[in-house]
Amino acid sequence: MKSAPLKVNFSSQTKPFTDVVGLEVGAAYVQGVPAVRLRKRNGKTELMAAGFLTLPGVLPQKPDLEDEVPVWSLPRPFQAQYAALAVTSPLAFLRHAAGSLDDEEANKLLAFRTASRQFAPELPPLSAGIPKFQATWAARLLPEGHQPTACSLQISPAAAINTFLTAPLFTSVSGTAVVLFVFPGYTSLAAFHESRLVLYREHPIGYAHVREAVCSHMRIDPSLADSILEDTFIDPIPMVEPVLRTLFRQVEISYDYLTRRKNCQTQNIFVCGLPSGAKHWTSVFSRMLNLTLVPFLPFEGLERASPSSCLPENLSAIAPFLTTALGAARAALEDV
Amino acid sequence: MNTPLHLDLLNDEERFSSSPIRMRVMLPLTTSFVTLCLLLWWSLLCLRTHSQAQYKEALQQAITSLTPAHSAVLALRAQEQEYRSIVRQLGLYKNARNPYGKMLSNLAEHVTPTIQLTQLSVPPPQPPAADPANPLFGPTNTFEAVTLHLSGRTGGEHPSEAVNTLLATFRTPAFTNVFRTAVIPKGSFRQDVARDPESREILLFDITCDCVPRRFE
Repeated sequence: MKSAPLKVNFSSQTKPFTDVVGLEVGAAYVQGVPAVRLRKRNGKTELMAAGFLTLPGVLPQKPDLEDEVPVWSLPRPFQAQYAALAVTSPLAFLRHAAGSLDDEEANKLLAFRTASRQFAPELPPLSAGIPKFQATWAARLLPEGHQPTACSLQISPAAAINTFLTAPLFTSVSGTAVVLFVFPGYTSLAAFHESRLVLYREHPIGYAHVREAVCSHMRIDPSLADSILEDTFIDPIPMVEPVLRTLFRQVEISYDYLTRRKNCQTQNIFVCGLPSGAKHWTSVFSRMLNLTLVPFLPFEGLERASPSSCLPENLSAIAPFLTTALGAARAALEDV
Repeated sequence: MNTPLHLDLLNDEERFSSSPIRMRVMLPLTTSFVTLCLLLWWSLLCLRTHSQAQYKEALQQAITSLTPAHSAVLALRAQEQEYRSIVRQLGLYKNARNPYGKMLSNLAEHVTPTIQLTQLSVPPPQPPAADPANPLFGPTNTFEAVTLHLSGRTGGEHPSEAVNTLLATFRTPAFTNVFRTAVIPKGSFRQDVARDPESREILLFDITCDCVPRRFE
């Protein structure tokens, strides 16, 4: 008779996490890897460090067994006990489980690691998935015996939603609220009714498309596009409106769906993750939908652990890039 | 605080400890070390038990081989003790001997012609009460009282004076080193009636002398 192997899990975590650094893996920002360290003390969440880290390795896009996984060694201010990883990958998905079958077919072609959660009995569960090879690669970035080690692995849009879910603003908003999380390649829409997620959708238009529209119209370098979107010398509305109109049309459809099908009258619409041109987004949005688009600042209301905190001077400027890392860390900290 | 949307995709086997001391490494190592120590201790115990058994066997063989010699030594020692005891007893008897010889040779000078000593005896001491349960094979006292009995005849005109003179002689320093007291017991002066009537003028007498006790020391 063959005996079953004895498996002992020596690293099981029973206590809630109190010191977590959030890292966004696969964002491919030129500045580096977004990282936000949070610490929970006396029931309050403190911001310990934030910024971009120069770390080796690029998230693989194809399963390659010979692909060597680099070892990440974080700077001292970011060396929390645990790390919450948020993976940004075009192959990852976040959707309601009652979606199309295309993703199911994709799952069969590529092995996926999935997780889902149901927020209400009448709502379909929300499922997150990532290719196994990417999940394995990311989980091996932080080896055993060094701080930090991975305690959580999420996908970027799910992690970003947590910045809104754990913000003081969320508790003050009554009724139905919609948040637009703008990423470079897409924008995700999350609708909350009575503090519950009732709708999640992704639209394939992000701030990179707006930036690209400006670049192609003015024939300039992408680095100059952000400054044009921020300053007042040139009106970029004619250039960005066609791009945003397509996106906001989809938002309008979701708005109508919430109002008519779910009987949820949306009072508050927030936008998050815009590095530049937020005023043009709100301008176009108010003209199209006759509603106000309010910028949501993810770091607002977060206490800073001064003087030991390690925060850059331009934190508000780079905050949109750190939203996902912040959300990943908050999800691990607050999930008890 | 609201419950976050935490869709965790990390597997349990990918959760590691950040501690540099890894339990999954340290536990087998510690277990192996403890097992090794126990094995070593057990081996040493077995080795010591084996060597002790060998030592015991050698001792038993030595005891067996030395038993006759040991018995002979014990017998010789017992014999030696017996001889030593005899020698000691002889020494004690030698020390306890009273010097009668010089006293007796001087006695002739002090005996007048009218006195004839007929008997001189030192009776043996009274033996201790016999105990059948614990028989004694010799005297148990360290000293022994000795009494000298003198018997004699005297005649002449003043026979009692001659006897008293002899008694006084026994009380002089020439004899006091042997005799502590010398007395004529009551009724010891008497006529010799056993002989013929002519001899009835002859008086018989006894003198008892307490000698210095013999000390067996």
